[in-house]
Amino acid sequence: MRIEIKTGNQLRIKRGKPVLITVNQSKVTAYEGELVSTVLHCEGIHVFQRKHMNGKPSGIYCGMGICYECLVKINGVPNIRACQTPVTDGMMISTDNAEDSL
Amino acid sequence: MKQTELIIIGAGPAGIQAAITASELEVEVTLIDSQPSVGGQYFKQVPEEFNIHDSSSHQKQASELFNKLNNSRVKYLPETLVWGIFHNPKTDLWQVTLQGESCPSRIESAFIIIATGAYDRSIPFPGWDLPGVITAGAAQIMIKNQGILPGKQVIVSGTGPLQLAAASNLIEAGAKVQAVLECNQKLFIRGIHHLPSIWGQWRRLQEGFQYTENLIKTKTPYRIGWSVIKADGFEKVEEATIGKLDSVGNPIQKSYQKIAVDAVVVGYGLTPSTEFFRLLDVDMRYSKSEGIFLPKRNEFFQTNAQGIYAVGDCAGIGGAKLAMQEGKIAAIDVAVQSGKTSLTNMETTLNQIERKLNREQKFAKMLGEIFSLPDGLFSFAQPDTIICRCEQISLSEIKEAISFGAQSVTDIKNITRSGMGNCQGRTCGSILSQILAKEARCNPEDCQYLNIRPPVHPILVETIEEETTEVLS
Repeated sequence: MRIEIKTGNQLRIKRGKPVLITVNQSKVTAYEGELVSTVLHCEGIHVFQRKHMNGKPSGIYCGMGICYECLVKINGVPNIRACQTPVTDGMMISTDNAEDSL
Repeated sequence: MKQTELIIIGAGPAGIQAAITASELEVEVTLIDSQPSVGGQYFKQVPEEFNIHDSSSHQKQASELFNKLNNSRVKYLPETLVWGIFHNPKTDLWQVTLQGESCPSRIESAFIIIATGAYDRSIPFPGWDLPGVITAGAAQIMIKNQGILPGKQVIVSGTGPLQLAAASNLIEAGAKVQAVLECNQKLFIRGIHHLPSIWGQWRRLQEGFQYTENLIKTKTPYRIGWSVIKADGFEKVEEATIGKLDSVGNPIQKSYQKIAVDAVVVGYGLTPSTEFFRLLDVDMRYSKSEGIFLPKRNEFFQTNAQGIYAVGDCAGIGGAKLAMQEGKIAAIDVAVQSGKTSLTNMETTLNQIERKLNREQKFAKMLGEIFSLPDGLFSFAQPDTIICRCEQISLSEIKEAISFGAQSVTDIKNITRSGMGNCQGRTCGSILSQILAKEARCNPEDCQYLNIRPPVHPILVETIEEETTEVLS
């Protein structure tokens, strides 16, 4: 659901250069300047992690790094806030946190 | 050990203004912020990799401020997380501990201006933890900063002008906003005795009219005295239940309606980021409009901890204009305290700021009073509704802790672990005191606030390891 934003013709946004990343083993095209949460949202992925205690899904909530609901695994490192991390070329993102420690 | 004359935490409107003013008065400033670029939430910048064209007056104002900062001698540390503030007895200075790619691990200073801003206030209801239920702040960032739609069929629920702004942006970005729900009733009657405070706030009124114009043009229903009561869906929100509220905010069951949605945007006002004040154990006071404890400050916005200042939304919600005036005053006081100038020199400047400050304070007070949250909102949560999202603690577990004898939010934390997870009670802290007050039939101010310990954000173990090595060597 990427959109070309125009707010009363005052604001126009063009995305950055395309980069190739991996999301849950699939190759995905993203754009420089996009956050990991943005790319997942555009790929139709809304469950970013599952709670360790009961497997409940969680995803974007506050969008500004406060709530820690959008934690994902990036390049093998677990518990990274998707909403605070811009994508980089070749990045590997995983939303499967079943095996990770807290 | 790296030292500087003034550390400012947070590069939003308050922090930037404080940095510029202090630097103009020859104070050596280090400005620290966790984001890649300055601006905070209010002046949040589109990523520099994006090619943007923005000719709005809001952006012009931001650019002017950023230019002043760039032309100053302020040392700016982006993408730097402050995880603790300690008092170093050897140097008698405040020591700020940092995590980041290209920052020192510690800096010391006699003065710290804290300008950490605020984030969306949460109201728990069944399904508020489902993916697809997001805050108004998150919706704004998705649309304006990232250029994506939170959903195609959206319900916006909450109170105040921020959710109106979110609804208006959603509409402009092409979403179908099913309805905008305002939980407060009789807005006009509540606002009427505040009319004089609106005098001079023309730009704000204009903004307000623009938002409403978008709602009217698209025939979006704006329902006063309504709220989202429940969200349902498999792994993601698919349906929202909305309901009318009685005069104290309790939902009226026979009014319930179900609406198909793919996103619910909630904006019940803002919560100031008070973690550093709680960490430093400064004197606090309870503020009803935000529903939390805020730092007590003197006329120069200094807390009772020597050299620690609190400016902008982190010390009480007042908006960007007020925040900038507060930043200026605190910076002037730091310059005076450190002998760079004298109060007599600054008298004219201070008097000028005072007038602006007064006007903004009145306006903030008006918004706070008109859009304060009715108590009934805290009755939306059901026994199995999760209150602490990090630790997955339900309302019934919290009530059990209260019947077990918990008398403060810290007691609840100790018994249930709620507020002990990754977000460190930022989301559930104020909710806990509302629940406890209701159950124990006392005032929320009697329930105290959650203590916080360093690190105030989760950090890598390496960060503390580096610390230890440095101390030893």
